[in-house]
This record gives sequence, structure tokens and C-alpha cells, in this order.
Amino acid sequence: MRGSIARVVTAVAALALVAAACSSGGSDPVGSAIASGPSPSIAGQTIVVLLPPWANVPKDILQTFTDQTGVKVDLQVTGWDAIRNKIAITGAANTPLADVTEFDWSWTGQFGRAGWYLPLQGKLDPAMISGLQNNGAFTIGSNQYAVCYSNDFRISAYNKKMFADAGISQPPATLDELTVDLQLIKDKGIAANPLAIPLSATEGTSTAWYLLTLAYGGQLFDPNLQPAFTSPDSGGYKALQFMVDAVNKGFVTPGAVSLTDTQSDNRFTSGSAAVTIVGGPDEMVTANDPSQSKIAGDGSFLLVPGVSGPGATFGLPEGLGIMSTSTHQAAALAFLKWWEQPATVLALQKSIGLLPCSTSAVQSLVSSGKLVGGDTINQELQHVAPLFPQGAPPWYGDFSTKAGSIINAVARGDLSVQEGVNQIAAAATQLQSGA
Amino acid sequence: MGSQRRRARARETALGLSLGSPLLLVILALVFLPLILGLRLSTQAYSYGIPGGFIGLHNYASVLSDPDTLTAAVHTGGYVLVAIAIELVLGLSFALALNRPFRGRGLVMAALVLPWALPSVVSALLWLRIFNPDNGLLNVLLLRVHVLSQPKVWFASRGWAIVFIAIVHAWGVVPLVTLILLAGLQGIPDEIYAAASVDGATGWQQFRMLTMPLLRPALAVALTTGTILAIAIFDEIYMLTGYQLNTFSLMMQAYQITFTRLEFGKGAAFAYLVTLVTGVLALGYIRSLRRAEQ
Repeated sequence: MRGSIARVVTAVAALALVAAACSSGGSDPVGSAIASGPSPSIAGQTIVVLLPPWANVPKDILQTFTDQTGVKVDLQVTGWDAIRNKIAITGAANTPLADVTEFDWSWTGQFGRAGWYLPLQGKLDPAMISGLQNNGAFTIGSNQYAVCYSNDFRISAYNKKMFADAGISQPPATLDELTVDLQLIKDKGIAANPLAIPLSATEGTSTAWYLLTLAYGGQLFDPNLQPAFTSPDSGGYKALQFMVDAVNKGFVTPGAVSLTDTQSDNRFTSGSAAVTIVGGPDEMVTANDPSQSKIAGDGSFLLVPGVSGPGATFGLPEGLGIMSTSTHQAAALAFLKWWEQPATVLALQKSIGLLPCSTSAVQSLVSSGKLVGGDTINQELQHVAPLFPQGAPPWYGDFSTKAGSIINAVARGDLSVQEGVNQIAAAATQLQSGA
Repeated sequence: MGSQRRRARARETALGLSLGSPLLLVILALVFLPLILGLRLSTQAYSYGIPGGFIGLHNYASVLSDPDTLTAAVHTGGYVLVAIAIELVLGLSFALALNRPFRGRGLVMAALVLPWALPSVVSALLWLRIFNPDNGLLNVLLLRVHVLSQPKVWFASRGWAIVFIAIVHAWGVVPLVTLILLAGLQGIPDEIYAAASVDGATGWQQFRMLTMPLLRPALAVALTTGTILAIAIFDEIYMLTGYQLNTFSLMMQAYQITFTRLEFGKGAAFAYLVTLVTGVLALGYIRSLRRAEQ
């Protein structure tokens, strides 16, 4: 009798274990929701998603998520800066803002370290993660705070007609060739100030300097985050010298010291400049659209020129993160999984022009000819590296602002190049000591 | 009789309290509570958004010893001086002109109020079109009349950048100053001027000996308002130059500390110090006004 009771107890315990195992596997509401339609555990929930204007997902595409999972999306679209401020304020106050938000690569150090975002490792399919380009920018140590949704990186562009008018048959592959070509275009009167590069005290100016630093074969910081741009033979020094030379030689308009990146880009699309150094992968969509550009048909991507051939460039990926204060984390996770589905990223690329982070999706777009300038983009992607291989440090935002201000002062002639790089290095050191 | 009066007074007090308490609660919740929480925040350590506990007055000492604070204070002092000078001269001129009835006065008043009604970001954008170094209205005009031989970058030098930004700021505040001074002018009885005329006072003497002294209360209000608004200058700088080394103000520095570095404690301390400066200046104006009245 005692033996039969023991057997019953053992059987019940075994059944309970099996049931528990089944329920833990079967209760993955995200997996089941994406795989086989709405999941009862998350269906009916509404998640708040906070994104910048360029990620304003059309309603019909959002509806496919609701159809798959039963989860409704309250999409809030607001400015990038405003999103950052809202996250900082609500994060510090530990109050809910949204379930899913924009997560810029440059926020990784600040927001990840502050614990405002849910670490995603182990919650997403590793195969999907490994197929995403630039996704490492959202990782510190073993913690991953976002998944990449916009594969933004820097790429240059040139005006084919202006180059042809100047008798230049090949686009420049090096910075020296670029300098010669710009001088020729200027001398022939094709463009008074043939280069578009922002020099105002803004983030866009820092970005231009970072890109040129990499293009000159340099790095901003060594592995210990010590400044690596103060020596005259460093990439950062040469990059700043290039920018100052561009002002002194009249390659850029004197007003460039007041121009933001967008305003600088407008000089390219309005036909005032023959080359824009710091563009994005959507550059040609605007440049070759007659309703937005005076150079439609003449714009073409240019691999970022380097020292002896195409130079390095860097990614500015944007991701989706789940806030720690989210009360619908399973539904939010389902949203991230849905977004990274091939059908979703291709639909988003078609409707709002977001370049997918998925390598296979990019290859599919290039091979089908659906990506404007796809071949050059594909080549440039081979040169993309993270600006901070170890993840953006928490002081990056402040550093970038200060660097932009100091570069602006150098371009205005208030500081020499050496004084400029020294001041940027001092700012970096001071910020690191404060962190 | 006495107890009846006491009861009536008590009823009146109770009525006053019941009518005033909702407003008092709103003020307590929206003004005093944030002030107290802000004061507490200013004594706490925050590093890139991570709270670190009570640190006394360390944030205040850190802010005061930061060389950027001095630079921001110098720039802000420049904005205040230039903006106040423009606002008082133009505001008083417009108020004196509008104090006399003339045809189309209402239309002029409406036009005058327009810059004040425009959000500062919008007016800064309009001025950006004027100061644009490549194709801005100012450069185009000056090149056409040969005052300039090549386009000028208006915000390149520290001094001129501060003057131009102060002009943009003053453009929006002059209407407010005009209205304050106009109200002050309309409160001066005409009989005083009539008596002065009978005594043979000239127009200039009337302005110097009557108008200006009697306008002092309104001038103090205009000066205080103008100074507070100029110390708080942010939108115009943000739109015209961004966080540029030669133009950033106290409020831009407060924004930088709070929202770029996410050092909320230090940002709160910075904001409190700016409030203290503003309060001291306002008190100074009020005391000088009282002395003048006595």
C-alpha cells in the first residue's frame, strides 16, 4: 500500500513537472503569438510605442502586428531630442513613459548603465540577433538593451554632372583626389564652394569630424578610452586640418560655420555644392527626387574617401528598447520580434525608407534592385565599423556637444587646430573623470 | 454686539478661506512643492542619470567652480545689458508715441503686439532668415548697397553674436515693455502737465521733471520683467547658434548639465543659483523703487 502511494505521489509529481515544463514552454506568449496568431495572455493589451518622425510606421503596417498578436499599438511620434529628454526625466523619476521606445546607439552607455531598459539577451532568437548589422552598438558587456531597426551609417555623395562638367571622369577614391577635384570644380567656376560640410556648433559637425577621423585611418579613442587625436599624425588631427583647409581654400561657404547638417545637405541638393561628405543611406532618395531637389538624376553615392582608397565609416544605428517600467513587457517583446520579421522590415523600407539592419534583408533589396544606390551602399557597408567598439560611453552626448562647439571655434578661426584637438581631448578627459 | 461682530468676522474669514483654498492648494502643488523637491534634488548626487544620495552643498560648489559657469554668466550679462537698453529706449519711445491719440492707433497697437505674440522659436527662425550668411536678407541688402564686399557671418565673433541675439530677444519683449510703460503713462493725471505748462515748463522739462519720476514704478516693473526674461534667454540662442562656445547662456548651461549630462542634482543647483541671482536683482529694483517713492 505504502509502495502504491509512493508510486502515485511519484507519478503526480512527474506529471506536475511535465505540466510545469509544458506550461513554461507553452507560456512564451511572444513566441506563440508571432508563430501562430494572437496569444490569449497578451491579446487585448495596448502598448505605447514612442518613436521619432522617420520611424512613423503607417497604420496598415501596424495593423499586421495587431492581427498577429491581438496587441494594439498606441504609436506616439515626437522629436528625437524630445524623446531623449522624456526618457531621462521619467527614467530618473522611475515613472512609466512608454513600453517600447527609440534607443539611439549613443544612448547605450547612459541609459543602459542607468538601468532604464530591460536587458534583452536570452529573450530574442540568437539567429535573428546575429543577422543584424550594427547591433553591437546597443550592447555593454553581456547586456543588450535594444535591437537595431534603422541601419544608419555615413556615406558621401557627389554630383555626377558637376564632375563631368569639370572634366572629371572618375569619382575621388581618396581625400587627396577629392581635394584636387574640388579645386578643379572651383577653378572652373562650376561651384563657388563645391563642398558641403556642416561646421556649426552642432552634433552634425562632430559627426563630420568623426567620419573624417576614421577616413584618415584614425580612431577617436584607444581601447582605454584615452584620446587618440592630439598628435599631428593622428587621424583626428588630420581630419580637423582638412575641415579648416576646406574653409581657408573656399571649398566650403563661409556661412558653413552656421550651418547644421540638414542645412549643409541642402546646399548639395540645391546644386550649390558638388560633394557632401557626411550623408546617410537615404541621401539619394531626396537628392534624386525632383520635388525635393534641384539635382534630380545627377546625385550619386560616393564611397567615403580615405587615404589610399575608400576610408572607414561608422554606423549610427537606431534601435528599439523596452523600458524597465513597462507593464506590458511580453507584448513589447512581441513587438520587437514582429518588427524584425523580414516581411515587416521590407514593408517599412518600401513605405518609409528605413534601411533594415538585417543583412539578408539588405542583400534581398540590393539584388532585387529596390534600394536606390544599392550597389554602393552594399560596398560601403563593408567599411562600416562602430565608433566605440566597446559601446558608447555614458559621457558621449556631452563630449559630442563640446566637440561640435570646439570644432566650430576652430573653423571660425578662434582656435588653432592644435588648440582645438587639445581642448577636445581635455573635455573628454574631464568628462571621463566625472563619470 | 461685540460677539455678533466677531461671529460675522469669523464667517467672513471662513468664506475667504473656502474661496481661496483651492487656489492656495494649486499654488502649493504646482509652485512650492516643485521648489522644495528641486531644492532636495540639488543636494543629491546624480551621475549620468544614476542617483547617488545626499551630498550637501557639493553640487553648488561644483557649479560655482566650473569655468563654464563664469563664461555663461558673462554671456548672459551681455544679453541682459544689450536687451534691456534696447527694450527701455524703444519701449519708452513707442509708449510716448502711443500715449497720444492719433488715427490708426489701434492698428499700430495690434502690429506692435505681434512680435510678442509670436513664439520665440518662430521669431528666431524668422531672424535666422535675415542673418543667414549665405543668402540672408541682411547680407543681400548690404551687398547690394555696397556696404559689404563679401557675405558676413554674423554670429562668428562673440561680441556681435551676443548683440544680434539680444536684438532678436528684445524684438519680442519690446511690445511688453511698451504696454507696461503705456499703462504707467496713462496713470499720470493730465492736470499735472497743465499746471506745469502754466508755470512755463518746456516739453523736455515736463518729460524730465514729471514724466520720468512718475513713471518710475512702471519702469521698475518693466526693468524687472525685462531682466528676468533676458536672464532666462534660451530659445533664441538655441535656434540661432546652438550650444556655441561664444554664445551659450546660463539657461543653456543648465540645460546642458541637466539633459545632456543627466546630472539632475547639479542642474537643479545651477537653476537655484540662477533663481537666486534673478531674485536679488528683482529685490534690488523694488528697493530702489521704494527709495525713489520715499
